[in-house]
Amino acid sequence: MIAVRARLDGVVRRFGSVEALAGASLEVRAGEVHALLGENGAGKSTLLSILGGMLRPDAGTIEVGGRQVALASPRVAWALGIGLVHQHFTLVPPLTVLENLALGRRLQPARLGRTLTRLRAEAERLVQRTGLDVRLDARVEQLAVGERQRVEILKVLLRDPSVLVLDEPTASLAPAEVASLFELLRGLAAEGRAIVLVAHKIDEVLAVADRVTILRAGRTTFSDVRSKVDAASLVRAMVGESVTDVAAAVGVVVVASGSARAAAVGVGVGASVTVDDAARRRPGGLVATLADVRMHASVGRPALEGVTLEVRRGEIVGIAGVQGNGQRELARVLSGRSLPDSGSVQLPAGVGFIPQDRTLEGLIGDFDLAENVALALHADPRFTGPAALRWDAVRAEAERVRTRFSIVASGTKAPAYALSGGNRQRLVIGRELLVASDLLVAEDPTRGLDVAATAFVHDQLRRATETSEGPGVVLISGDLDEVLALSDRLLVVSRGRLTPVPENARTREGVGALMLGDSSAAA
Amino acid sequence: MPRPDRFRLGAGWVGAGAVAATGAVSALLLIVGGYDPFEAAGAALGGAFGSADAFLSVTLVRSIPLMLTGLAVAFAFRAGVWNIGAEGQLLAGAIAAAWVGLVGRALPAWLLLPMLLALAAFAGALWALVPALMKVRLGVGEVITTLLMSFVAIELTAFVVRGPLQEPRGVFPQTEAIAAGARLPALVPGTRLHLGVVLAVVAAVAVAWLFRQTKLGFRMRAVGASPEAARMAGKIDTGPVTLVAFLGSGALAGLAGGVQVAGVTYALYEGYSPGWGYTAIAVALLAALDPLWVLATALLFGALEAGAAAMQRDAGIPAVWAVAVQALLILAVLALDQMRRRANAGSAGV
Amino acid sequence: MSEAELELFLQASVRLGAPLALAALGEAVTERAGVINIGLEGAIIAGALGGALGALAFESGGAGVLAGALAGGIVALVFAAFAVGLGTDQIITGTAVTLGGLGLTGAVYQARFGATGTALTLPTLAPVRLPLLADIPLIGDALFAQAPTTYLAYALAPALWYFFFRTEWGLELRAVGEQPDAAAAAGVRVRRVRLLATLLGGTLAGVAGAHLALAHAGTFAENMSAGRGFIAIAVVALGRWNPPWVLLAALFFGAASALQYLLQALGLDLPYQLFLAIPYLLTLAALAGWLGRARAPAALATPWPPPR
Repeated sequence: MIAVRARLDGVVRRFGSVEALAGASLEVRAGEVHALLGENGAGKSTLLSILGGMLRPDAGTIEVGGRQVALASPRVAWALGIGLVHQHFTLVPPLTVLENLALGRRLQPARLGRTLTRLRAEAERLVQRTGLDVRLDARVEQLAVGERQRVEILKVLLRDPSVLVLDEPTASLAPAEVASLFELLRGLAAEGRAIVLVAHKIDEVLAVADRVTILRAGRTTFSDVRSKVDAASLVRAMVGESVTDVAAAVGVVVVASGSARAAAVGVGVGASVTVDDAARRRPGGLVATLADVRMHASVGRPALEGVTLEVRRGEIVGIAGVQGNGQRELARVLSGRSLPDSGSVQLPAGVGFIPQDRTLEGLIGDFDLAENVALALHADPRFTGPAALRWDAVRAEAERVRTRFSIVASGTKAPAYALSGGNRQRLVIGRELLVASDLLVAEDPTRGLDVAATAFVHDQLRRATETSEGPGVVLISGDLDEVLALSDRLLVVSRGRLTPVPENARTREGVGALMLGDSSAAA
Repeated sequence: MPRPDRFRLGAGWVGAGAVAATGAVSALLLIVGGYDPFEAAGAALGGAFGSADAFLSVTLVRSIPLMLTGLAVAFAFRAGVWNIGAEGQLLAGAIAAAWVGLVGRALPAWLLLPMLLALAAFAGALWALVPALMKVRLGVGEVITTLLMSFVAIELTAFVVRGPLQEPRGVFPQTEAIAAGARLPALVPGTRLHLGVVLAVVAAVAVAWLFRQTKLGFRMRAVGASPEAARMAGKIDTGPVTLVAFLGSGALAGLAGGVQVAGVTYALYEGYSPGWGYTAIAVALLAALDPLWVLATALLFGALEAGAAAMQRDAGIPAVWAVAVQALLILAVLALDQMRRRANAGSAGV
Repeated sequence: MSEAELELFLQASVRLGAPLALAALGEAVTERAGVINIGLEGAIIAGALGGALGALAFESGGAGVLAGALAGGIVALVFAAFAVGLGTDQIITGTAVTLGGLGLTGAVYQARFGATGTALTLPTLAPVRLPLLADIPLIGDALFAQAPTTYLAYALAPALWYFFFRTEWGLELRAVGEQPDAAAAAGVRVRRVRLLATLLGGTLAGVAGAHLALAHAGTFAENMSAGRGFIAIAVVALGRWNPPWVLLAALFFGAASALQYLLQALGLDLPYQLFLAIPYLLTLAALAGWLGRARAPAALATPWPPPR
């Protein structure tokens, strides 16, 4: 019998009238990698926050090491041996790595120097043992994303937790980095630690987990050992049966790409699986050109270097890459939001842009639907007089977007903050399609969306490019399956450089190698 | 930096609740201090609203600089510019106005007065230009820089009234009275109410129209609500919009200084402003940064000051109480707004 | 310029700089935790009145300083209850607290001593000559024959530097001011740190106020803080949030104010107001980066937890 390290039972947590958790349970055992799965909004983050002592449950019991406990604060959770690696980086940028490791430790509160000396020795030993390569004296603000992730893990491991919880740690890692992370997790489990891994990619989960628990709508709906599950059953448990209707209603066409996620949806939907034939699509005229574009970054090497790209009407150009390799800068240059330091940029008049973070960059929460639509129309002469905006025309347009994209809202006067995540993205896409007569730049457009909303977004991108009169679409995404499935042409961005993916390398492995900057794999 | 969209104070019961809470706490404090709160309230209300003259010559006249500086603050805050240096911009405007009013004696009134007001606004904008450029070009936060510029303006005022613009005898730290042609005419004969109140109302309506109807106003509101979304979704170049917010705010505050010189004091002296620029932050906040509501909240503060003076005269209660009451009012609004927000957070989801 | 005149100038610089230094050192702690307390002015005036009342009640300058510290701490507690506890906007809360401090002290003063404003004579905080140090030529008297509160400022500068950069508490404080989310995740109690940092800042502002009343003026007058709370915020910026530099910046501001006495003594009729403006202009230059890198804590004036 394997020792149960921590057990959460019947956990309920409300935010106002919303029940984020409505009876969630989780049992974590020593020596196991336990995957926690669930759609966005299923309550994973809330459950983790409770486990980490950041939130208190309204009901339910928590046992750690066989004793019932109240995880009143992060400090208490630490003391009980629960270590949490957050999804968002929790490092202080102007401090050094070592100082970040010391933060909150209180080893010798009045003698920071001694604490640092002691931690340096411990950290160096741990680096030796785990291969988590970090520079202890660098300032965090100078580090790349992957290295910050390693610091986060190191920080938690230094506290020697018996339960190690990782919240979507692979989101910003390249496939090879994911593999070495999983290797590390297996090793840590073998030391007798309990590992909880929150993930949303089923294939990753199947690769590393010993046990799988699924949350849906705040409840634990499934929990079993790895050997008894497959991708299809997991998807069904995650999204429930209703997904078939939703996916069918939005007319989803699922493209086989070898991905467990997409294939599993195909199984769940029971729809026919078609293989996309890029050659059948005939792109139209040239709409946008970048030539030898270079752009600086705030620190380190240039964000973009020698970037050359042509986009034609009616094609989807996919750009894959690990987060932090120049995607943001590329998206901004392509959408006319930023000017490069050098190189030439030719953009058409009608450019739409779906920014990565729809809540922060795509919409203004306190603005109503019409005002949010006006964000794209305020410079359009059809909607403006000499000084004033033609609000009646803007509002009418917003109403059209609302109806056409089935946005669930009380009207165009509803504030954007009241919309759900999926409806927010519908609003952003609907608005950008209004102006994207020539070019649409989409940056991670399905990030954080559930299966049905993802299908909707993919469908919209395909419809926009149905004919060679339609706009050219540039799809910049960290989701390999998504770009593999949708792109007519595929490129990889790595360290600020663009590399076309040859036809024979259009596989997860081939593109993955390119994403890490290994050009030999493409040859 | 905090975002201006985060407080919506005109909303519902917050305003009324704050006034009630402030009244209750003030009454309590007065009782503790050994005064009769009803006598105090009677005297204050009489002083502020008791007669046409009390209202027009005292309350309304006192609220004019608060209306204009309150508008200045609201103008900047709505665009996410935390200009807390309206005080200095007002002084810059007052200096410019005094200078025009003194050197322009030969000019006719129809030219002199508009010139005085225009230069006052220009000087206020100029005073805001330094923190504006520091913010837009160098990314230096404006809270400290606008404050610093206010101190420079205070010292500059002290220098000007002891140096180049000092009255001819060279005794008092003040200027001579400005030319008759540089003075704002009375609006209601027999009262001290001057044309400045019309200017303030026109300015408020203009700013309200700007925010509600125009492209520029929309861009300012977008930048204020979310600079990231303004840049990414709105393709708005935030630099020029921020600059406009600074300069417009400075111009309104400078105009306040010009109107005060041309309408009330007719001269400039050391220690000119009793803190209008700071009180304006409270005025704008209580109005939820709505330009038309600024007129109302400025009137409320004007009445508080007028009432306090009467309270001291008629009930023997120190006028400084009014300052404490203003503070209580702001704190009450902050607390109640926070409660409203928490209640809303529950219903709107997280 | 004679040596005696120079000595007087230096003395005046330190005398005028000391209350600024006390308030600014406290505010440096507060701002390092990500809280900007514009209500400092209110804490100083409360400290001055508290100091006056305490000194009268116990007929001792020392008791006055303690009472002033307490009064400043109470004002900071009100500020912290709103800005840290409720998470209200720091700028607006600070404005209200300053208004409240000025209003209530005026009201209490008039209630206690009458509105006529007969000059109060208070038990003063006598200067203490430090043996040997005070005998150093030229600077000895200026630096080392001052009220004990001045020495508190001298001692605080290195002590706070050590605290900021050589203790784990200081590391936590800086983390809270830079990235409160990260600090919280590491187990730091962000609001508690901010509360304590604000209270310390207010207490020191109260001491600064008591120093004004007891060591500087020997009396209390309404509005006697005269904007020093705001000036202290400028001093912190000029001192780049680093205690020893903050102390020097405060003495520099003091020197600029003292220049008017020097000019008078020298019989020069220069516009001293323009000299008074120099420290502010220099602070602007420092913030613009013309005097090296001066960066405010990243989370300064940002409520935590962030408003939804």
